[in-house]
Amino acid sequence: MFACIHGPDANRLADSFSPFVEMVDEKTAVFTVTARQFGAVKHVQAQVALAATAEAAILAARNLPGYTFIPPGEEARVLGTLSIDALPPDPELFETFHLWGIRSLNDLSRLPDDALASRLGARGLWLQRLARGAFERPLRPRLPATVYEESAELEHPIQLREPLLFQIARFLQDLTARLKSQSLAAASLHLTLNGNQRTHSVPFPTRDVKLLLKLVEHSLERQPPDGPIAKLRLELIPTEPRRVQHGLFTPAAPEPEKLELTLGKIRGLVGEKNVGYPELFDTHRPGLARPAPGRSYLTFRYFRPPLEARVTAERLWTRMFQGKILQIAGPWRSSGDWWRPDNWNRDEYDLALSDGALYRIYMDRVPKKWFVEGVYD
Amino acid sequence: MAAAFPLGWRHVEPLETLSAAGRDFPRGRISEIVGTRSSGRTSVLHALIAASTGRGEHAALVDSKDAFDACSAESVGVELSRLVWVRCGGNAEHALHAADLLIQAGGFGVVALDLAEATPAALNRIPPTAWFRFRRAVESTPTILTVLADHPLAKSCSCMTIKMPPRRAVFTGQAPFLLLRDAG
Repeated sequence: MFACIHGPDANRLADSFSPFVEMVDEKTAVFTVTARQFGAVKHVQAQVALAATAEAAILAARNLPGYTFIPPGEEARVLGTLSIDALPPDPELFETFHLWGIRSLNDLSRLPDDALASRLGARGLWLQRLARGAFERPLRPRLPATVYEESAELEHPIQLREPLLFQIARFLQDLTARLKSQSLAAASLHLTLNGNQRTHSVPFPTRDVKLLLKLVEHSLERQPPDGPIAKLRLELIPTEPRRVQHGLFTPAAPEPEKLELTLGKIRGLVGEKNVGYPELFDTHRPGLARPAPGRSYLTFRYFRPPLEARVTAERLWTRMFQGKILQIAGPWRSSGDWWRPDNWNRDEYDLALSDGALYRIYMDRVPKKWFVEGVYD
Repeated sequence: MAAAFPLGWRHVEPLETLSAAGRDFPRGRISEIVGTRSSGRTSVLHALIAASTGRGEHAALVDSKDAFDACSAESVGVELSRLVWVRCGGNAEHALHAADLLIQAGGFGVVALDLAEATPAALNRIPPTAWFRFRRAVESTPTILTVLADHPLAKSCSCMTIKMPPRRAVFTGQAPFLLLRDAG
């Protein structure tokens, strides 16, 4: 038999009867009970129903006050008095029921199956089976989320990287095998060493132990642990595996696994923030703004950081170059983000110098200093 | 082989040239684009990357001096989502190492190594064997390895060198209301 409890405390009450509870909504819990538990269920302080099918128990618990016991085979009779609105809402079908004069579940359950199916299709037939309390389905109990983690507390702390990677590789093999058995893959990896957690996000779901181990290795190279490792914990965050359909005429692209490893190596070389895909923003800030559609832009090269300069009406000096100013256009004044510490307020000029190059210079209006921002090229 | 390349500063002129840029650079070879400041060398490089990413390929730019301007590159047609940008903070050795790793990874249509504005001291530290290694690494791939520099670096390892002549700025309007327009 199925029991359904409908009330604000349904979850806790249902847990006291069975570990396998399906939460239909926040206030409605369904579970199976044995004949020995009937008496206990009867004394629950909420709307409770017992029935041979889960859906009949849900309908009765939601719509009938107190305790309701529906004997097997009596579902249509007990539920028949309920309004048609007790069924799961379906505005289109409910309008048809209204036109047909169907007001209660009893009215619906008495309609002939074949005629109903031919007029309202499978959805109408399903609603009729619900009204009769004859729709049977298995229980869908909530399951606790599986955590894919391994941990170890070591008697002798690990001091070298190699044995640490060996231990991590063992963890990864076990965890990826568990992920594989569930048809899942790792979306990211949390490694906790002596209580310090570091997260490695994988650009695509994977179960490749070598790839995950390499990512960890590169991370340990870039940022070595503070001291010998006594506590070690590894957790993989599961997600759906990647499914890729390759095309015959698709241009070749770097293999994601290989590219991620390569970028990891380069990050170790030039720094974490110096590798990536450039992105422009919806702003007017120089250097970050998206190009306006339809406008032409001269190709530009930045001096990062801008070169401090000394400028007179005729000449320009920097630590890298100097020359006579042949032509100059400007100024173009721009400012923005005044509410932020890194606001800008400057006058820009384009100038042709006697060295044959064309520079963009600006005067920062707050410290009243000149800078060469870059060169048109 | 030195070849003239009819491309100026502006992105508006070379829409046809963009596709030509992608076609004319030999794959599996080292090409060089050399020139002084404001000669249009970066325009050619952006046109090449735009042609490559426009075909759906991925490209990589190893930027030794952090000089890349994403705004003007996007206005030329570079698809930034397909461009891996590596900033080396002025370290030419890191730039070479990064380019080596990207070539080894494979799958890129263009790997561009921007060594323009690098100091002579940094360039002197590049061993000549590096270019031979690049030539061997890239020759069995469909990748265009392009080096942008002030003067030729790869020497005999380079299959093609594009020398950009100095250009003259074009301002319009009457002083003091001048407007920078183009290269003449």
